[in-house]
Amino acid sequence: MMPIIIWMLSVPLAALALIFLLGHDFSRKIATASTFLGLMLTLFVLVVSIADHGVNVAEAYPYIGSLMISLSFRINAVSLVLLLMSSIVLLAAVIAGNPENERQKLSCALIVLFQIASVGLFTSANLFFFFVFWDVGVIAMFFMINILGSANRKNASMNFLVYEVFASALLLLGILLLYFYTPLHSFDMQYIIANASRIPQPTQELIFLVLFLAFMTNMPLFPMHFWLPDAHTEASTQGSMILSGVLTKFGAFGMLMLFAMLPIASKYAPYAVVLAAVSAFYSVFVLMKQTDIKRIVAYSTVVEMGIIMIGIGSLNSFGTYGAVYAMLAQGLGVSLMFLSVGCLKYTFGERDIKVLRGTVVESEFTTYAFIAAAVANLGLPLTAGFVADILMFMGSVQTFGLYGALPLIAMILLGAYLYFVINKSMLSSREHSAAVNFVGDDQHIGYLILMAALFLFGIMPFIILNLARL
Amino acid sequence: MAGIIATGIPNAIFALMALLVASAITSVLKKSRNTQFLFSTVLFAMVSGLALVMLSTGTSFVLLGSLNFYPFSLFFMMLLSAGMMLVNTLSYRYSNDYTSLSLLASFAFVGMIMVSASISMLAIFLGLELISVSTSFMIMLGGKRNMEAAVKLFLLSSLSMAAFSFALALIFPYNPGMMLNPFIQNINVGGSYLVTLAMLLFAAAMAFETALFPFNLWVPDVYQGSPGNVTAMLAGINKKVAFAAFMLIFFLVFAAYRSMFSAIFLVLSIATMLFGNLIALVQEDVKRLFAYSSIAQAGYIMIGMAAATQFGVEASLFQIFAHSFMIIGAFSIILWLESLNLRTINDYTGLGGRNRYAAATLTILMLSMAGIPPLLGFYGKFLLFSSAIDANLIVLAMFGVVNSFISIYYYAKVISAMYTKKPSEKIKTEKLALAVALIAVIVIMVLGLYPQPLIAAATEAAKSITSFTAILPVP
Repeated sequence: MMPIIIWMLSVPLAALALIFLLGHDFSRKIATASTFLGLMLTLFVLVVSIADHGVNVAEAYPYIGSLMISLSFRINAVSLVLLLMSSIVLLAAVIAGNPENERQKLSCALIVLFQIASVGLFTSANLFFFFVFWDVGVIAMFFMINILGSANRKNASMNFLVYEVFASALLLLGILLLYFYTPLHSFDMQYIIANASRIPQPTQELIFLVLFLAFMTNMPLFPMHFWLPDAHTEASTQGSMILSGVLTKFGAFGMLMLFAMLPIASKYAPYAVVLAAVSAFYSVFVLMKQTDIKRIVAYSTVVEMGIIMIGIGSLNSFGTYGAVYAMLAQGLGVSLMFLSVGCLKYTFGERDIKVLRGTVVESEFTTYAFIAAAVANLGLPLTAGFVADILMFMGSVQTFGLYGALPLIAMILLGAYLYFVINKSMLSSREHSAAVNFVGDDQHIGYLILMAALFLFGIMPFIILNLARL
Repeated sequence: MAGIIATGIPNAIFALMALLVASAITSVLKKSRNTQFLFSTVLFAMVSGLALVMLSTGTSFVLLGSLNFYPFSLFFMMLLSAGMMLVNTLSYRYSNDYTSLSLLASFAFVGMIMVSASISMLAIFLGLELISVSTSFMIMLGGKRNMEAAVKLFLLSSLSMAAFSFALALIFPYNPGMMLNPFIQNINVGGSYLVTLAMLLFAAAMAFETALFPFNLWVPDVYQGSPGNVTAMLAGINKKVAFAAFMLIFFLVFAAYRSMFSAIFLVLSIATMLFGNLIALVQEDVKRLFAYSSIAQAGYIMIGMAAATQFGVEASLFQIFAHSFMIIGAFSIILWLESLNLRTINDYTGLGGRNRYAAATLTILMLSMAGIPPLLGFYGKFLLFSSAIDANLIVLAMFGVVNSFISIYYYAKVISAMYTKKPSEKIKTEKLALAVALIAVIVIMVLGLYPQPLIAAATEAAKSITSFTAILPVP
């Protein structure tokens, strides 16, 4: 088979070079082509995998011989799902995420750079490159907030960077410890998973602690989430779509890997789950105090990531499937929410629910897109969120008994508040805000792409679940 | 083929030395800037290229019974002459007395070759002295307002040389030849406090030169007070030569005391990293910020030396190479902006809009210093932390990681300021300064994407000064 992962990486790399060479006029077209090709390549892998009844792609090339680091990639079921999600989100972000048409060249270049990072991270079979792509993604996102963001972007981006670099420093430490304590000094994930039980117990605990802190900062979970609300609020629309849709999945992906890797992790899983539940409840209560819709959506990310962590921590197949599926559903849903919030801001010049009234009158499509995304995230049947939630809670009830269902209350509270937002600011038609601008066809295409994906994976979950014979 | 190269090389070196002399004479007689620039650039390029060829063919021989060419010295020659070439370009553009400066620089260069290819500790002493005296005069050429920095550098390097010579005297009974040659056994007398004292004095003397924590107080003043081109040389080259001397003395002469000096280096490393990074956090002047950041980088380099293994030395060499290019590139941009009176972070606000090339190159260089992959600085740190864990110094690796996390804050502060929108007039691009920075950027990006050649070179160099100690019993 042809080296498809190399293609997936070299398409955005070439696009990045082209954007710098050809300049402003073509940048959007190039970025669209690059993300579209990325999606096509991912779909190709998906189709081949369905035909073969299983995912099996692996590529390896020599890189640094003396340290036994090779450039190795693989796609398994989890990474295929995340690749699918990230390529859809990136495509929608390029097409629709910039209604203001500001700084097209830079934003396209950064999205394409982020595409390299996300493809590399999700397909990497090697902890060394996992780290490299992780940092590339963080830096691309830093510039997306720092240069393209709104008024308070400088503080928000520094905050973001400090937390994220803290995470990546710990990640590096954890990876190095893993490398030196596995018998044959290797970065290869397969090898480490097979041999992790031979690492001495105290070292395993240290590694677990370091990596857990790193991933939980990125996800984020409760005490480490303080970067997130500001970063989301200040980022450009494209930035928040990608930040919330894809970047937070880096941590969740790492978490899945960590729990699969270290035997000691199962001992600490209950604590992690309790922390995740606290995180979900804490942020849903903070969320209810917010009036800026973008902040509301940002906090909803923390709630959802907490619930995903509960799925991962259940340590059974329902929980794990559910968490992976939830990453897909939440990634698509939350980026649709951010897209429509960005368009609301563009249309009405305002994001405060105290001021916005009856948005449905002047901008129908945007409002319905927001509502669709909200109900999908809350788990309405026939949307991807439903499949995810039902699998996750089955998993957590299986492991923790009825206590496992408690976090549902956080979901219900989130739903109630979103209902309140929608009711008060969007659907009320007694008075309505006046539109300043109108969104174009591009934005509508973006909504359609994301909504179609949300419903497709809700109506036909077997596409994904058949792959995941983990 | 290799044989031809091996026999041809001594002749080539004689030819080069003749060229050096010729260029020095021309510069004095003709006072022609351009000829002098051309001569010296070609010379540095040739030395660098020759060292690279010899390094890749694995040549090693002793020239004139006093200059030892083997992978370690060749690695440094390649690096130092490439660095000198870049600094020389900056001096050509920015110095008002380029011909004198260039002559002094070639004296310093002779000192560098002496240190890196030294066969005895006396040669190291002379070489370091030659470098520091020439550099002091180079600073003085900048004019009256640089006098203070020149005097400071001169006095402090005299102090360090005094400690060095005292240490030499102390170990004289144990090593009367003062030899540093791989083929001669190193000192191994258990329980002699004289040797321990000598070792401490050497460490102090070299800590002055490499600006490690308690001995680094001269650095910010001298860096800030010197003309920018000399600052680039001080940070990017002189310090690296001092590291070469540091490694040679400890890994060749005191190899038997490895566990003892490893502990000293560990303390020096942690203190230096913390000091440099924490003070850099509150700097407003960009030159001072980079002075403190390069102090911190010296602390990172010490991680590998504290590991005191072949892998550790390899990692240190890698980071020395990386930092040399990064800091010269950064100082070339700073020098350019300084000539337009932009000095503080506040002045840098909006640089991205005023000249995007300056902002972009400085950004990449700073990201590399902060250790962001896939740039060269990341691999340096990666290797250093790996070597610490490999030598079972997990605490040291943790301190390194924490420091690299602290450092991102001040680099990002500058980057963030540069990309703040602020309406002001454009800055005209300065071709030579930008070219120097671009060369540095290309080096760190290309080697960052494919570091294998540099790792191989560093491994060879590290092997050549650590491998022969394996035959001795470790106390």
